[in-house]
Amino acid sequence: MRLKKTSIALATALSLVVGLAVLPNANAATTVKMVLWPGPEGDAMQKVVDSYNSSQGKKDGVTVKMILLSRDNTFAKEAALMKAKSSEYDIYFTASYLVGQHAPYLSDLKGVKDSLYLKASVNSLKVAGKQKALPLDTSLHFMYYRKDLIASLSANAAKYTSIAKTVLGKDLTPNTNPATWTWDDALATAAFFTQKYNPESPTKYGYALPAKNLLYNTMIWNDVLWGLGGNWLKNGKPNLNTPSGKAAIDVYNTIYTKGLTSPESSQWEYAETNSALTSGNAALALQWNAAYSELSTTGATKDQIGIAPPPGKGQRTHVHALAVGLNKFSKNQAASAKWMAYLATTPAMKTYAGAGGVPSMPSILKGMVATNASFANIIEYAGKFGYSESAGPREFDMYAALAEVLSPAWSGQKTSADVAAAADAAIKKLQK
Amino acid sequence: MSTTYSQERKIAGWLLSAPLLILLAGLLIWPMYLGFKTSITHDILSEFETYPAGFENYKNLLVEPNFWSSIRFTLIFALVASVIELTLGLGLALLFDRIFPGKRFLFSLMLIPIMIAPSLMAVMFRLILNENIGIIPGLLSKVGLSYSIFDQNNIFTSLIILDVIEFTAFTFLLSYSALQNMSSEIYEAAAIDGANKRQTLLRITLPILKPALAIVFLLRILDSIRTFDSIYILTGGGPGTSTQTVGIYIYKTAFIYGDFGLAAAAAIVLVLLLTPFMPFIIKQFNLGTESSR
Repeated sequence: MRLKKTSIALATALSLVVGLAVLPNANAATTVKMVLWPGPEGDAMQKVVDSYNSSQGKKDGVTVKMILLSRDNTFAKEAALMKAKSSEYDIYFTASYLVGQHAPYLSDLKGVKDSLYLKASVNSLKVAGKQKALPLDTSLHFMYYRKDLIASLSANAAKYTSIAKTVLGKDLTPNTNPATWTWDDALATAAFFTQKYNPESPTKYGYALPAKNLLYNTMIWNDVLWGLGGNWLKNGKPNLNTPSGKAAIDVYNTIYTKGLTSPESSQWEYAETNSALTSGNAALALQWNAAYSELSTTGATKDQIGIAPPPGKGQRTHVHALAVGLNKFSKNQAASAKWMAYLATTPAMKTYAGAGGVPSMPSILKGMVATNASFANIIEYAGKFGYSESAGPREFDMYAALAEVLSPAWSGQKTSADVAAAADAAIKKLQK
Repeated sequence: MSTTYSQERKIAGWLLSAPLLILLAGLLIWPMYLGFKTSITHDILSEFETYPAGFENYKNLLVEPNFWSSIRFTLIFALVASVIELTLGLGLALLFDRIFPGKRFLFSLMLIPIMIAPSLMAVMFRLILNENIGIIPGLLSKVGLSYSIFDQNNIFTSLIILDVIEFTAFTFLLSYSALQNMSSEIYEAAAIDGANKRQTLLRITLPILKPALAIVFLLRILDSIRTFDSIYILTGGGPGTSTQTVGIYIYKTAFIYGDFGLAAAAAIVLVLLLTPFMPFIIKQFNLGTESSR
């Protein structure tokens, strides 16, 4: 009898628990799942997510859950999800150079105030005039140089001229203002700080060349191309098998074959370029703005790192924005839109910047120059020199294809004459 | 009509095997079917719609120089790495096939590389061998030596060395276990007949180990053909496509160029290219099993 009563009591309690669990909760928040990649951007975004979930999110009835995929393969995983028309994630991580590829799977964003953002960044996320993603971090390139070394050039003018003649076959005099450098100035300076030509140079190599077969290295090489008056396309047709295209390939080829960079730089990317500078092995490099924090505080470049725009007569820097876009197949469109609207506000991006992000809002960057001096350069260069190729939906593929075709010439295995036509063919194939 | 005993056994055999066969179909045949279906589809990430393309992807693949150069690189890499790994693994197994002080410790030490994921090994290599901050170039420069491990002229050798460091443990372990299965009576008989160490090795040990070594070699070849992560992390397949394995080609085609149809066709062709090896492996496996009975 006692057992029967106990069983009934247990069954009643269980029914209540199950009943409460399955009853719809009028106050339940909709969970929005957003993909980002780990690293500084993911860390900074977590602060914004936490802030939203504990304040505005409660009013909106939305809880944001951020999923960090791997740094290297986030876009590969997203590609598979997009192609499967998955609704697993509501918000995708994207970027200016990918938005053309991702556009068919992203909803159009409405109400984005262009005036809040760096023009180059917000415009780079438009496809056929429609805003497809919201800018987060802006990335561009600086010509980094050792201020202490460049300052010593004037005192060694004769030696500089002699080395420039030997290495480049040109009569050049030292130019101690890197902001006005041509590529000849940059190459001659790199030669001067290469021990092979100047045994008294404090650095083993003058230049740190990221020449690995990697699409992000094509973005850096683009600065050289544009600086020499070239472009991927002219009137919609591939334009690298031209004097300016070949000259840009030759700049990298000269740096490598003349030994102005390490022979290992054929496999270098971001990290190795940084370590070449901070270890005191190299004097200059075109590198991403994100490197400034490390370069300005570490090793041989600590307090000695200078910033200039990429050399060239028509100075330009590649600029792109990392971004988030709304999955067209998301089942939580309205809730996701609420979160995106919050993310587009100045307070949200202030939180993002405070946690280490580099938002594309100039008003916020200006206010943080005291903590990171390079923010002033980002605003200036993005406006003055910021540029990106507009090569259509397969632009991302083109970056990769060009890295594949050009990297043998960058590292001296082939010449510009060998690869320029193949580069045009690679672009043409992807334009179809 | 009553069923015979042998028929009942046959039915029971199928019934008992059914769960495994269903699992196999789910995990192997179904994905292969989907892969084939994708390979006959025009399926590009930047294009929303997909549509049947017949054998267009296969036709494109046949005239795709990067695919064939990646096949060539993969085969050369797999062959060179596997030969070195088998030779070293067998040599080490013969060395360890005796009692000596510290054997257990050294044995455990030998197995460490195989426990590390290839991608992690590649990242460690990248750090240790970094010309600017790596410990190996630092030590070499202290004694006045320099060797550019990632110099384009040395990169193939460097990749082989990495693979050998990682996978010699595998060939060593299998060769060693095959050696342990050999009867000591054979060696005693050889000693009584006056065979010296060299004769014993060449005329007794190696012929008996041959089926096992063939299996080890082919397993390594097949595994090396699938090499992806370590080379992708170290070189990205470059400069150009000079170190691009077929795995990297397939990955880039699918996830960088967004051409899933072409990538699936390449994967199917790779399977077809590897299939002729299978009867040989199975034959060697059967030989090994029979000889151990």
